[in-house]
Amino acid sequence: MSLRLGRYGCLVVVALVFVIPVLWVVISSLEPPSEIFSYPPRLIPNHVTLQNYATALAQGNFGVYFLNTTVVSVSATAITVVISVTAGYGLAKFRFPGDTIIFLLIMGTLMVPLQVVLVPMFMTLKSFGLINNLLGIIVPPAATPTGVFLMRQYIRGLPNALLDAARVDGAGEINLLLRVVVPLSLPAIAALTIFSFVWRWNDFLWPFLVISDQDKWTLQLALANYVGQYSINWPSLLAMTTLSMLPMLVVFLAFQRYFVQGFIFSGIKG
Amino acid sequence: MDIGLEVRRATARATRAWRQTVTPYVLVAPTLLLLLVFVAWPLVQGIYYSFFQTGIIIDRNIPELTPHYVGAANYLQLVRDPQFIQSLARTTAFSVVTVPLTAAFSLSLALLMKQRFWGVGLMRAITYWPSMVSLIVVGIAWKWLLGYNSGLVNYVLNLLKLPPVPWLINGHLAQLAVMAVAVWAQAGFFMVILIAGLQTIPAELYEVAHIDGARAWSTFWHVTLPLLRPSLLIVVVLSSINAFKIYELVVALTGGGPGLDTVFLVQNIYQVAFRQPQAAGYAAAQSTVLLVVLLLLTAAQLRLGGEAAE
Repeated sequence: MSLRLGRYGCLVVVALVFVIPVLWVVISSLEPPSEIFSYPPRLIPNHVTLQNYATALAQGNFGVYFLNTTVVSVSATAITVVISVTAGYGLAKFRFPGDTIIFLLIMGTLMVPLQVVLVPMFMTLKSFGLINNLLGIIVPPAATPTGVFLMRQYIRGLPNALLDAARVDGAGEINLLLRVVVPLSLPAIAALTIFSFVWRWNDFLWPFLVISDQDKWTLQLALANYVGQYSINWPSLLAMTTLSMLPMLVVFLAFQRYFVQGFIFSGIKG
Repeated sequence: MDIGLEVRRATARATRAWRQTVTPYVLVAPTLLLLLVFVAWPLVQGIYYSFFQTGIIIDRNIPELTPHYVGAANYLQLVRDPQFIQSLARTTAFSVVTVPLTAAFSLSLALLMKQRFWGVGLMRAITYWPSMVSLIVVGIAWKWLLGYNSGLVNYVLNLLKLPPVPWLINGHLAQLAVMAVAVWAQAGFFMVILIAGLQTIPAELYEVAHIDGARAWSTFWHVTLPLLRPSLLIVVVLSSINAFKIYELVVALTGGGPGLDTVFLVQNIYQVAFRQPQAAGYAAAQSTVLLVVLLLLTAAQLRLGGEAAE
């Protein structure tokens, strides 16, 4: 009995530790600027207002940042999914000269995150004219070893007999991919889409390295710039922070099971 | 015997065989091309320029923008550069502190939430949520909480009759704050890996331990921990890699301050490369050190991943 009570005590503490920091941002963002710094702080604000949101939307280019982030996340995710499915299929269901080396080469790039190649990446992107260009944060990071690995592992589990049957029926390779492989791999494709979208939405380092013009900023770049100022405009910043989390909340609520049931890990281990 | 039909059949077979040969290369080409151009090539270039004195902008038509070969000078400079040594030491200390804490904390969370009980889904979701938002957002939230005058944390301390703490104002406390927030931010993600690991442990083992009269602690020590080893190792390796890559959280939470007290390797590399003249080659040499560390850690990860897959 005491064990169970202890357990529930722990759960309550854990819930508070994880909920309050995020909730506190949201609560504060709903207070009028005059009350946001009031002491003692109130968990339930005296006045609830959207004033900070109106200010944030009016003064900055919040809409532009939101749009940039959406364009980058959606297009980059689309590219990642398409090329990971094709590469995963190629590596899972074909034996060809060089297949092992290509696979190891792809997985080996795990060892080289952007953090390690900041300087030469800047030089490379510069020579392609991709600096200060949204394409520079869409295309170069689109190929990911984890995406290829996830798709390869999943597609490997599809029965060969099914593919051979379709080939005997005269299906071309493209048809085979679109009509057989893709429909059967939808769970893995969904997981990759979601994880990729979340990653791109939240990414800071690529836009930080590539983008300088303010009208090309992504949300994370804008937030980092506003929190880095000497005198921080907290009311606006908290409103923007809350808005930037909303799409992630929608994704999370819709696809929770992919995240908290460890789907991606079962995919990786499978 | 229809010779035309035979020929057509043979041609069709040849076409199919040719397609079968070419198809896999076409399938992997986009990924391979992108990774070669935007990972392998920069990697080679980075190592190459670590032996040169050069700025971040290179133009061989302009003498001032042309790289000069300096041999190992950049690497020799590393040893004599207190700023680099300190950022490396800070990053190592950060890793040594956060990795065990992350493993212990996420394991506790996993043990607490592995069973089905009313509200377990919500609890897991709440714990995972910090992994759904960017580290910039995490940094902003905690900067708001840890404010000296109006932060919620100091208010709670005040309720407990404790003096306010200058969390982000004092260097040592700022380092502690970055560590604590980093653990908080990734614990939920690792919890999910560990729950997945815990669920692979056969329930019979627990029944046997129970029948043998083993206490909870000894069951944990002799059943759970050894069988969870592969998942725990993955958590340790991944969180070490994260620790050496730390930058984004610091951007929002402390900006590297106060002073340089929370400047870690990646930020130091960036500032050297982009803020100092003719120092991109030197920054590339610093990156090589980071590369070697990550190489060792990732090699460990791939080996463990291979073990886990078997």
